[in-house]
Amino acid sequence: MAAPMEEINLAWKTAENVLSPWKNTDLSANKEDGQFSTAVNILCQNGLMDLLEDWFFEALQEDLRERVAPKFLGFFEKKPQLEDKDAEDKAVEYLHGVTQDYKPALHILEGLPRETNRNYSMLAFCGVSTVADVLRILLRAVVFTQATPVFRQCVDHFYSQTFRVFRQHNKPAQEEESEEEVTECMGCQKEQSDCRCEMIRKRFHDTNTKLDEIGLLEQVSGTAVTTLVHEQIAHHWLENKVLVWLKLVYSGNLSNTGSTCIEGFKGRLQHFLWETYARVQIEQLFNIIIEYPESEPAVQDLKTCLEKTDMRGHLVTTLKSALETRLLHPGVNTADILTAYISAIRALRALDPAGVILELVCDPVRKYLRSREDTVRCIVSNLTDDGSNELLEELVKGQPPPDTGAPGEEDADEWRKWMPDPVDADPASASKSRRASDIISMLVNIYGSKELFVNEYRTLLADRILTNFSYEIEKEIRYLELLKLRFGDELHFCEVMLKDVADSKRVNTRITDERKQKGEVEDVEVSAMILSAQFWPAFREEKISLPEHMQALLAQFTSKFEALKGNRTLNWKSHLGLVSMEVELKDRTLNFNVSPVHAAILMQFEQQVPATALRRKIAFWQSQGLLKEETPDSSYWGRGHDLVVGDDEEAESAMASAHAQKEEELQVFWTYIVGMLSNLESLPLERIHSVLRMFAMQGTSGEITLEELNHFLDKKVKDQALAYSGGVYRLPKSS
Amino acid sequence: MSEQNIDPSTSNQRPKDKGKIAMNSKETHSVSKRLQQELRTLLMSGDPGITAFPDGDNLFKWIGTLTGPNGTVYESLSFKLTLEFPSGYPYHAPTVKFETPCYHPNVDNHGNICLDILKEKWSALYDVRTILISLQSLLGEPNNDSPLNAQAAELWANQTEYKKVLLEKYKSNAAAGNS
Repeated sequence: MAAPMEEINLAWKTAENVLSPWKNTDLSANKEDGQFSTAVNILCQNGLMDLLEDWFFEALQEDLRERVAPKFLGFFEKKPQLEDKDAEDKAVEYLHGVTQDYKPALHILEGLPRETNRNYSMLAFCGVSTVADVLRILLRAVVFTQATPVFRQCVDHFYSQTFRVFRQHNKPAQEEESEEEVTECMGCQKEQSDCRCEMIRKRFHDTNTKLDEIGLLEQVSGTAVTTLVHEQIAHHWLENKVLVWLKLVYSGNLSNTGSTCIEGFKGRLQHFLWETYARVQIEQLFNIIIEYPESEPAVQDLKTCLEKTDMRGHLVTTLKSALETRLLHPGVNTADILTAYISAIRALRALDPAGVILELVCDPVRKYLRSREDTVRCIVSNLTDDGSNELLEELVKGQPPPDTGAPGEEDADEWRKWMPDPVDADPASASKSRRASDIISMLVNIYGSKELFVNEYRTLLADRILTNFSYEIEKEIRYLELLKLRFGDELHFCEVMLKDVADSKRVNTRITDERKQKGEVEDVEVSAMILSAQFWPAFREEKISLPEHMQALLAQFTSKFEALKGNRTLNWKSHLGLVSMEVELKDRTLNFNVSPVHAAILMQFEQQVPATALRRKIAFWQSQGLLKEETPDSSYWGRGHDLVVGDDEEAESAMASAHAQKEEELQVFWTYIVGMLSNLESLPLERIHSVLRMFAMQGTSGEITLEELNHFLDKKVKDQALAYSGGVYRLPKSS
Repeated sequence: MSEQNIDPSTSNQRPKDKGKIAMNSKETHSVSKRLQQELRTLLMSGDPGITAFPDGDNLFKWIGTLTGPNGTVYESLSFKLTLEFPSGYPYHAPTVKFETPCYHPNVDNHGNICLDILKEKWSALYDVRTILISLQSLLGEPNNDSPLNAQAAELWANQTEYKKVLLEKYKSNAAAGNS
């Protein structure tokens, strides 16, 4: 065993020597060629080739780290000076030399037999197929992680210099013209006489070729070239390309105006540049807005451009039309419009802190939102839903800066920062109001008044309470408190509503406890939501009489309540509410949470219910497969068909719909209109409107706009309830 | 005079110059409010054949329309009235006149009306609606004991003849109005 061991040791040493170019051993490998191949053979037989390869890369890395990198970077230790332009040269040459030194070793290694299916190797790790590639990667990794700022500076310098030279020599057209005045070569900034452009150019090509050979070209030059080009485009493109051409134009006419003209042009061209960029950005502004928090840089760019150009008008019109074509049509969900509106508010506020653009652009959005029925609902649910917390966060952020009554005190601190309103501002509205309002108030202001918003919130709250029928109101209280910060006393009604819920809970417990104490047992447990009628929104009315059994239960509850509360009583809204019921069938038991009407139908099937309501509610049980309609108007118990899960989720709101309320209002107005026309004969539209405003729009009845009235009256004319001629309305003669 | 007819503002403070007192703005406001309320009540009640509405912006002057009650000679005839409310309303009765000439025992040629509730029997509990209803019924049931138009009062007994004269007068007026 000893002999092979020694043999192996010897072979390893030989291989090591051959593969270590950094040891400066004599690499005239010819004489050792034979030795090396036998050594390799021995190692191969002993399965040590993998080890050899790994060792090689390890040693290579160490060499690069310890020897090559410091020396390479050492060339750049000195500050780069114009004269000392050789640093890069030397460094690159050195690096090139090193790689050349490595080459034979690499070549040998490449030629060695290798097990192809190794689990782990440097090659596989680096994701490349040849040893030379590994060297390249190692070089990049090891040498350039140690790069100093000075090094970067050198590289930048090198490339910008060569770039100048390159440009100079690619501009043959102007050369004859620059000769007379320019004593410096534009390329190397030396005296014309000792221009070194040619040399620099040669050096540039050499260096690049070498770097390419080493495989470092991209690595070294990438950043430098990118910055350079960027800078060129941003600052020098105009001067160097366009202006030079202009100079040509003006130097032709030999007048003295040439240079001043060019100066003038310079300013204008700069302006063109800003303007072109702004124009491009404005085209994309809609998308920028939609993407807003991510597109912040674009907005900032545009802001800079706007300061230097007169593009505000263009921006407003373009964005307006973009909004109209892409957002304000029936195909878009109200929620989406709102989201867009919110990010528009954010983006445009960043763009123009004075809020003027926002005001101008979003006017159509506001108008459009006003025309959508579900806008308020969307806002309110967005505010208070768990899902999208965007608005909720905004709400939590708290109060808008309160309008200070006395502007004087604020001025004392901030007069230095004061900026006049932009020219396109509407002088009628105070700049302060634009600045101050935050997103929530902007949303609320879509309707011009808090009132409508508060009403809608009230309806929504009532709906939520009554459909869930739960006494858990912590969350609602939190929302309400947040909203109260903003809307103040107008939410008084909602407070009462929540208090009602809490009170109901207490009354229920009390009554149940009392019943338990007396030992009364009920087959159905009744609990009530006791609402103060005055403070709740109007309920959707539906006249039904419940089965006697249910009614008896309710009456019992009422009497208990009366005993508890002295002179108060309960007025049951029997169509609202929730019944938890268990239906036992032959083969199974089904659980339902349904409205009392649904329950009543099952509890006592013959119960008299208005036919239409009955049909609607029965549909539910039909869809559950419990009832089946045999012949029209006669249903019977039974499982006619398999259980079908009905998809007619009855999303009936408990509240009278906004639409119905509007109808009612219009009806009131109609009586007034009939009254005035039968006495005053005939009136024009505006007169009717102003009379209505004077006499009818008081207190409880709502408002009607001129357009709405016009629409309404035209409908009446169509129905022949009204006659219209010569610009005035009158009642038809026959009546 | 019944209790409710005493206008507190006049009786307590300035009992002497009633009727034409310069009301302060608050009192005017309360009168306007009352009139608005009456307008609402009137329009919402939808009583057939009677209606009234403020003339222009002035809430204190209304124009009313009466249709003759069915089953009387006045059936399907319609009469225009003016109602003027004093600033002391409702403690003082409004002035009501027929604008359309009305051939009636208790209405004179100038449209003045002789009706007790508009004169000595006025009460603050009345309102425009009750006035109009009273006038409507007055058309069918005139008080022939105190006539303003003696000729009409005499003719009332002969309903056929009465109707003939009435329609003649009504039509001539309508023709005059239209021309």
